[in-house]
Amino acid sequence: MNAIFAGGFAAATVLFLILDPDGFLPAMLSGGEKAALLALDLLAVYCVWLGFFKILEKSGLARKIADFCTPFAKKIFRTDDNEAVYLAACNLSANMLGLPGAPTPLGIKATRQFLARGNDNAAELLFVLNATSLQLLPTTVIALRIAAGSLSPMDILLPTLLSTLVSTAVGVVLLKAAQKLRRGRR
Amino acid sequence: MKYFALVIPALFLAVFLFAAVKKVKLYDGFAEGVREAPPLILSLFPYLAAILILSELFERSGLSAIVTGWLSPVFSFLGIPPEIGKLVLMKPFSGSGSMAMLSEILHTYGADSYIARCASCAYGSSETVFYISAVYFAGLEKKHIFTPIAVSLIANFIGVICACFFCRIL
Repeated sequence: MNAIFAGGFAAATVLFLILDPDGFLPAMLSGGEKAALLALDLLAVYCVWLGFFKILEKSGLARKIADFCTPFAKKIFRTDDNEAVYLAACNLSANMLGLPGAPTPLGIKATRQFLARGNDNAAELLFVLNATSLQLLPTTVIALRIAAGSLSPMDILLPTLLSTLVSTAVGVVLLKAAQKLRRGRR
Repeated sequence: MKYFALVIPALFLAVFLFAAVKKVKLYDGFAEGVREAPPLILSLFPYLAAILILSELFERSGLSAIVTGWLSPVFSFLGIPPEIGKLVLMKPFSGSGSMAMLSEILHTYGADSYIARCASCAYGSSETVFYISAVYFAGLEKKHIFTPIAVSLIANFIGVICACFFCRIL
């Protein structure tokens, strides 16, 4: 990310120097202004959803969802390691609900557990599931659309769901194929 | 499509009723959740600002038009509007950066335009592959993580192509 920032910044600044030196600072300030406005929009989004998720957590529903997912997770990850599977199930359900920030710490813990037991395939599968997005309700996108004046902010729900299903399926199939290939080579 | 509008109010009602039955203090609990919002925004804000300033420089220097020009034959061929190219390229690296770009696309092209809907779906159906790999596999050997990263990048890109396709037909 640092290399991209430095490269992009340098390239754009050189162009400004040649073409339009007066436009440089106003452009930067306008970027800062946009950031301030976006932060306000996001604050509104997180107020609503973090409040909601806290209620979900306190009511015990969040735990119930993770418990419900655990048997499936055992099948998917092909292991009986209860602790790791429970963590993975929590991570996957937090992902599906679209909790901002919550899945990452759970996913890291589950990955460490899998790797500590030498279960590389399960760790890789958990990563691919996380990295292909399982989100059922894209809370942030919907809210940003409302903030931008959309008349039908939920319109994107179905196409998003379908394409995220495709990307997750493709990811899992490719990973399984790669793992099989690797096993064959050993 | 009308029924999708019911999803969120119904979800809130169901969860709040369930919580009330479980004797959760709704007012206190909700406020406790909201308390986590400002720190989260504060932790995001520096990155949002850096990316949006860079993106504005990109746009106004004309660099963006040049890069979009290079990419557009490939993207148009795959059915992806070239206008969301930057978002698609940014997403694997940075969640806050791509969120900033999504917000900008929504404002520039209008939230209900085809381009903005593609951008929304592309954002919602892909993930920050490099960021997740950095935190999940921190301290692991490089050869270990190559396969899952490559697989995820391919899968996400196919997801974006599908997102634009579904936006066209749905």
